[in-house]
Amino acid sequence: MKRRSLLRVLTSGAALLGFSALPYGVSRLLAPPAPQPTNRAIKLSARHQDRRIFLRPPGALKNDVAFTAACIGCGLCGEVCPPRCIKFHARSGGSQVNTPYIDPAERACTLCNKCMEVCPTEALTVTKRQDIDMGIARIDQTACYPWVDKGICGACVSICPQGKAAIAYKHWNQYRPVVKDGCVGCGLCVEVCPHPSLPIWITERKSYSLPEKKKLL
Amino acid sequence: MAEISRPFFLWRHLNKVRWVILSLVFALLIVIPVLHVYQTYVAAHAYDLLAPSEKRLYDVVEFATAPFINDPAEELDAVKGNTWSGYFWGLQLSDPLAVASQMAASLSLYWPFILSSLIPLVLTIIFGRFFCGWLCPATMIYELNSNLSAWLKWAGLKLPNFQFDLRIKYVVLAIGLILTSLAGSVLIATIYPPAIIGRELYFVIALDGFGVGVVIFIATLLFDLLVARRGFCRYLCPGGALYSLLGRYRLVRIRRIAESCNDCAKCNVVCEFGLDPLRDDFGQECTNCAACIAICPTDAMTFTLRLTDYPAQGPGHLGKQYQHGSGADLEAAAE
Repeated sequence: MKRRSLLRVLTSGAALLGFSALPYGVSRLLAPPAPQPTNRAIKLSARHQDRRIFLRPPGALKNDVAFTAACIGCGLCGEVCPPRCIKFHARSGGSQVNTPYIDPAERACTLCNKCMEVCPTEALTVTKRQDIDMGIARIDQTACYPWVDKGICGACVSICPQGKAAIAYKHWNQYRPVVKDGCVGCGLCVEVCPHPSLPIWITERKSYSLPEKKKLL
Repeated sequence: MAEISRPFFLWRHLNKVRWVILSLVFALLIVIPVLHVYQTYVAAHAYDLLAPSEKRLYDVVEFATAPFINDPAEELDAVKGNTWSGYFWGLQLSDPLAVASQMAASLSLYWPFILSSLIPLVLTIIFGRFFCGWLCPATMIYELNSNLSAWLKWAGLKLPNFQFDLRIKYVVLAIGLILTSLAGSVLIATIYPPAIIGRELYFVIALDGFGVGVVIFIATLLFDLLVARRGFCRYLCPGGALYSLLGRYRLVRIRRIAESCNDCAKCNVVCEFGLDPLRDDFGQECTNCAACIAICPTDAMTFTLRLTDYPAQGPGHLGKQYQHGSGADLEAAAE
């Protein structure tokens, strides 16, 4: 008798747990953890393993685990973004589901700081423009038009909101861009780059070290 | 015979007010993304480069907003967000569930965010589960869904209405908080219908189409239609669970006036949450939605200020079961 009632309690408890976990299981199945594909990123060569598929909005916590823990997915950062560059992991992303990202190849951040001011949690913290660290641009010198002597361009240098501190020509009379330490990784250079394979891309700052600096040290 | 208390005469119109508020919240969730799209067009300063459909949206919104504002890029930022978290003219308001799940996910306290849910928290402690009945953008669709099932029933289609244990949603809330803290991301937001509605409306209007949430929401609609009436809210919603817990000792309650009740049980039929107003059994699930006040033909439902439900009063004095003069023992028998 007792064993039977215990069994009943156990089975009903298991059924209750299963029934309550059902919505989460459904949501998990529907949002598998997959990298976010973008229009131009798919076409990129696999040469650069450190090319990030997406950026976080400016002022985001550098530790992505801390960022996904802090972000509640309310979408306020996207709702105030003037260029509407902030998108959301809506259909895939696993534990990153509903968190914001920026695809600079599609539309880049203009560093207006509205998203940081509006974020209700500390996921996006208010940061001065020169202290923002979304990443750092990197130029593939084997593809960029001026670097391979396929004409003159300078689109990335002209658009950069950080000016000479972030990107400049290597020689004043050549249109060969070189990234400087002041780059905050907003990605406007990626958006305007006319090259189909995007020789300029935003990488994580830690994975990139400037050759000039190494020589100095 | 003592004077029978009557409800305040405007309270039977509260249900209509509630529908107006629900419609306004839903309309706001549609208008805010449209205004944002317009703001991005304004910020781009490139009207001539817009596609014809974009130009049409620009013209319409400009026509509608131009008399009231000078600087769309700044002034239309006054109201943003959704019921999960948003702000009105600088007043940041967040869902208490958002705060609870963010605390669980990050295992830390961030006071500016916690304070943003203070006003909803206090209102929930006073009015109970009022968010579910009065503000939740999913409620409007769920109630229309209930109406649809009523029409289907009228048309002769038998739809099942299973009863489950109302406490399942507390387990859903607990499991959600545990999974949220294990995964380190706010997973509750993926199954919480008001958060889904606000987010998905923004996605489909301003970004590139619906996300996964709309599939989950349609699944809950089918659950409500085919398994249990208003089933997700009653048995599964983690937010409803949190508000039920917070509103257990709410101050504002609905009570039955037994003296003018005729036991018609319309209140029980109309109650979306499957409660038992006829037997004075509201409990912590009541949303103070005032549907039972609106439907009552004898004005026997009213609001009261009490920390617990009114004690059971037995059958209504206008009903068949109540016998005048020899009340007590027959009431006991009716119980």
